[in-house]
Amino acid sequence: MDNLFVPLLIGCLVAIASAVGVILARRPVYAAAYLLLHSLSLAALYAILSAAMVAIGQVIIYSGAIVVLFLFVVTLLPTGGAELRPIGGRIAAACVGAGAVIVALAASLTIGAIPLAPATPGDMSVAAVGHSLFSTLLVAFELTAPLLLVAVVGAVVIWRRHEPRPRTVQPVKVSEPRRLVLHQ
Amino acid sequence: MSSESLVLGTSAALFAIGGAGALLHRHPVSMLMAIEIMLNAANLVIVLAARVYGSADAESAALVVLVLAAAEAVIGLALALALFRRRPAPDVDQAAELRG
Repeated sequence: MDNLFVPLLIGCLVAIASAVGVILARRPVYAAAYLLLHSLSLAALYAILSAAMVAIGQVIIYSGAIVVLFLFVVTLLPTGGAELRPIGGRIAAACVGAGAVIVALAASLTIGAIPLAPATPGDMSVAAVGHSLFSTLLVAFELTAPLLLVAVVGAVVIWRRHEPRPRTVQPVKVSEPRRLVLHQ
Repeated sequence: MSSESLVLGTSAALFAIGGAGALLHRHPVSMLMAIEIMLNAANLVIVLAARVYGSADAESAALVVLVLAAAEAVIGLALALALFRRRPAPDVDQAAELRG
């Protein structure tokens, strides 16, 4: 796997740089553009790691659907998506949280709680993934359908809950009854 | 430095960056983007484990996580838009009460 080190390094650097761009962008439009770059670099990483099915899914679902959804929402925002400046407490909380995560993961790696086994060759083809999706993970795969349905219905319910009630339409009074005129 | 630890460290860094962004931002859409980065970091670890252990089941699990991320984005963005409908200032700290 070490002959893949240089492509993996490039992909990892692009992913981290674009993630930092998402965090530091002042306007959500730029953040969405960086998110697109981030998801594409992750798709490249998946492809390098020989997970072709996940790479294709990442491009179609993530870059194609989710990021475009984010862009739609940003264009729908009333103020154009301008953001207030972060306050000091939030900056401190972000530094502490990120540091804690890094320290915890580094400690668990050095202790050896996550063993890095040597690469074992396995069948990672699209056919094998499809077979496991429809045999081992069949219940989880089928449960994604009601999950998406509930998500869509829930989004509509949340959106319509605070909608003002439509005004009742006053019936138009007709002064004289309409006559049917037949043209010859 | 092996390739495995490179990808593992990258995903740890991505998770930390996403967590910092979710804590840093006051705009709900920016917070959601940071949470998406955290989900992507977790998915990267799953795909790495699928590669290391040669398991196609883990790759399928990564696909299921992708669908989950889509559902989460839909609900989160609907919540953000509902928040913007009630108050124009993009600050999640002001939305401090739950009401049906």
